[in-house]
Amino acid sequence: MSDTEIVERYSPNFEAWIEDFNEWQTRIGFDPSWLGDYRFDIKFDWDTAGNQIEFGDFEGLPKWERRMQIPQQNIRDAIISMISVQGDTEFASVEQQNHLLDTAPTEYDKKSALRIMCEEQRHGWQMAYVLCTYFGEQGVREASKLLERNAQDGTRILGSFNAPIDHWLDFFCFTHFIDRDGKYQLKMLSTSSFKPLAASMGPMLKEESFHLGTGANGLRRIVKQGVIPCEMLQKYLNKWISTGLDLFGTDDSTSAQWAYVYGVKGRYDERESDIDADREHLNEASRELYFQELREEMRRISAVRKEGEPDLFIPSDKFNRGIGRYAGEKYTIKGEKFIGNDEDYESYLISVLPTEEDEAKLMNDYMKRDWIQYREWKGQ
Amino acid sequence: MQHLALLSFNKEKCRPFFDKLTVLFNEFHHSEEQNPDEYERLLYLVKRPYDNNMLDMVDEWMNLPNREWKEETTREVKLALYAIRYPDTLLMDSFTEKARSDLRRLSGYLHFTHHTYAIWDEDTRKGLVKLGINIPPTDAADPFIYGAYVTAIELLKDIAPFTCFLEHDVPRQRLFQAALAAYGRQN
Repeated sequence: MSDTEIVERYSPNFEAWIEDFNEWQTRIGFDPSWLGDYRFDIKFDWDTAGNQIEFGDFEGLPKWERRMQIPQQNIRDAIISMISVQGDTEFASVEQQNHLLDTAPTEYDKKSALRIMCEEQRHGWQMAYVLCTYFGEQGVREASKLLERNAQDGTRILGSFNAPIDHWLDFFCFTHFIDRDGKYQLKMLSTSSFKPLAASMGPMLKEESFHLGTGANGLRRIVKQGVIPCEMLQKYLNKWISTGLDLFGTDDSTSAQWAYVYGVKGRYDERESDIDADREHLNEASRELYFQELREEMRRISAVRKEGEPDLFIPSDKFNRGIGRYAGEKYTIKGEKFIGNDEDYESYLISVLPTEEDEAKLMNDYMKRDWIQYREWKGQ
Repeated sequence: MQHLALLSFNKEKCRPFFDKLTVLFNEFHHSEEQNPDEYERLLYLVKRPYDNNMLDMVDEWMNLPNREWKEETTREVKLALYAIRYPDTLLMDSFTEKARSDLRRLSGYLHFTHHTYAIWDEDTRKGLVKLGINIPPTDAADPFIYGAYVTAIELLKDIAPFTCFLEHDVPRQRLFQAALAAYGRQN
């Protein structure tokens, strides 16, 4: 059951941060009038957050509601780091995407993207609020940094959030694959031992489902329309999926293990699972669930392709990885070890990832036609 | 009516419903009887300017008999579909008798033209009653009864936990309405 509290009064620290936020919006070219009557509410779902620590070495103790209840400074640092990374991705995605509003294929897509950007900003507000309200000067400093790093300068914390999103195919891939990773991260934090963080996640997850739906529906509408050949679409899937897999972090991660020990970040299926966590392979376990989910989703997307078009598929989790045990290794999209030297592999990558020619063809030819199934905007 | 239904509402009673909402939705929406492919096609096909053919397609999906409406009644309803603003239902009060005679049909038109208004359905109403939200049965488009129905579903959306929100290509009102219908059918 969800009984959402909307915070009515803000601390002076957070009020000051809001002024910085307003400047950030101007700096990145996000016109506040686009928000209409949308409000950046701070929402907590205390009920779903639970009262007792659910896993790790503090299991069974009351969840921490204030900084001083957190028993060690290194746990405080870990929590601040988790909140900072989450907040960083929220603002980064708006920096990456807001230029797309001018080229939306339909009013429906424009309004959907705008809603996503509003909600991502709200999620960023929520994280900044938690930092400013619960973590004193250290939190205030970290909240400021959320607005100082910038995706266009390549200074955001995670690689995917510095990558340019040049067109709407990238946007749909991003919302389908990268926001899906976001869903995993939010769900893993929803059982956190730090109650204000856990209580922030319910309302954020409710909103995130629309973002993922936008990505999945967008890809399905593109495939259904059949203007962009599946062979080309596959190249974009190959590009984004490896990025999404990397976002789960390193294999055998000790920081994931410590976060679990502290009860700060659980498994994706922490509340549903009836087996003990393999603490040494937490990132791998979450990544595997994500990978399986991608396969399921892709079956649904590929099912609507036009007759004669090749099946769309999720490439192997070994392909083009930058993080984990396959990082820098040469594998094909089917997961076979690549036979050949570095030069051969470069040529192979050119054949399976989008090239400049593909980009030009996509934007100057396919996207000049009715390349996505029309959907009417029903809003008022 | 609206106030009575929602003020006497017991949130705890909803917990078992929310726990299985996604299963209930799939059970109902993806049943052969509901023809989910056609439902999803209509989400795209019904668009401005509305014509009689679009209304016919909605009727057909809902297994409703042909409209026996005069042209001015159809025009009256189509104009209302443009004018009405979610979650308002009071506009129905100005309808002529024929136009307001069939709430189920009207709610279908409203649903596919706005993607917000919930389809009026007896099983869904029973599902709400099981949750302690007493909406009386009706065939006619009573703006207060339908208003309470729409508001009740909106309220459930608000208080539902995040686990209820599927990434599905259907409006959230349909997600909840279909799950309620399956819930209402259960003994």
